[in-house]
Amino acid sequence: MSTTTRHHLNRQRRRQARGRTPATPGEAGPAPRQERRPAAKPVREDREDREEREEREERAAGEAPAARGARRPRVPLLAVLCALTLLLGGFAGWAAHRAGELRDDPARANTALTDLARTSEVKARTATAVAALFSYDHTDPGAFERAGKTLLTGKAVEQHRALFAGVLAGAAAQKPVITTTVTDSAVERIDGDRARVLVYADQTSVSTAGPAAAGKKPAKGKAPARDQGVYAGAMFAVDVVRRGDVWLVEGIDTFGR
Amino acid sequence: MARAVRTPAGLRPVLAVALVFTLVAAGFAVWTGRDWYAAAHDDSAGYAEQRDRALAAGEQAVQNLNTLDHRRVEQGLDLWESSTTGELHDQLVEGREEFATQVKGAKTVTTARVLSGAVTELDDRAGRARLLVALRITVTTPDSRSTDKDSRMLGELTRTDGQWKLSGLGQAPVGGTAAG
Repeated sequence: MSTTTRHHLNRQRRRQARGRTPATPGEAGPAPRQERRPAAKPVREDREDREEREEREERAAGEAPAARGARRPRVPLLAVLCALTLLLGGFAGWAAHRAGELRDDPARANTALTDLARTSEVKARTATAVAALFSYDHTDPGAFERAGKTLLTGKAVEQHRALFAGVLAGAAAQKPVITTTVTDSAVERIDGDRARVLVYADQTSVSTAGPAAAGKKPAKGKAPARDQGVYAGAMFAVDVVRRGDVWLVEGIDTFGR
Repeated sequence: MARAVRTPAGLRPVLAVALVFTLVAAGFAVWTGRDWYAAAHDDSAGYAEQRDRALAAGEQAVQNLNTLDHRRVEQGLDLWESSTTGELHDQLVEGREEFATQVKGAKTVTTARVLSGAVTELDDRAGRARLLVALRITVTTPDSRSTDKDSRMLGELTRTDGQWKLSGLGQAPVGGTAAG
């Protein structure tokens, strides 16, 4: 509808113009026939009209300086600025979204192996902590307690107590020496100050209370015996968290065992 | 410029404000664009992706190799072979018939569940990786009795045709060398 209205207006303007400039032979045709032209043509005519008008305005620049000439350049400039703002703002929003999406990708958030220094630090600290936490010597129970106090946090305190409840209960009678050594470990995940490490450890457990105190040397692969060493392989996962310079164990996952 | 001079006083602040907005938007666009570029061209991202792919493939392969149903032995062994490459693959192909006979005779159903797994080493270029997989294996005998056993698996992966496959698998030795 607006196209037809504009077309109509243009036609009126052209008629006014014709009053000033002599009519060309081509324009002398009957008006109603022009009205019934197919839709595509008036658009072209419209553009031609505008070009015509612009030419005229440039010629008549001296006649109407404020009314028309001043308004035309400013509206596009404002529009261009607005469009640019929208485009740039849109791009900024989209780029920020994409960057955030990439960063939030769980594969990237996990820096296990990608950050080699941090990975080996986590492995080394975990191995040391596990060795200290899972070893018990009845001649020096203080070391075990110290390890528990300095290396555990959160729910790991309770988990560790439960795991060693049996050992501690019988400590006086059996005089056990339990030594744990990490044989293999792999960092599953490092997310900032938190990490999860899968640990394979060997555990020798010797009761020095029995008559065969010489049995301190662990006998491999034998069934548990009170006076003989027991060699067992353990696997569990520990969650560690960094507090300043130290990594504390905050969870011990024995996989339901 | 000549036309801007003709701008009526009322419209000039509007233009100035629009210009400021445009500049601020441009600033943001540059900033976030660089941020995005940096995130997209992060070297460690590709490495992390390989690590996760190797782990996923490795865990699945280790689970496959510890799963076998005597009623579907051939199917199971096909899966074993498709999960492996290199020496391990050759070993499996070689021992296939003997193994199939054994399992059919014992009529056992073995299933495995990955408890946890992690990659210890990854050579992205060479396409080799090592991983640890904590596994719980359940063996069900013909009398419907099942036993659970935890296994500490050590796996070696090799990338062939863009796919990570198991090229070595064993159990972590108890009282091994590391224990001293």
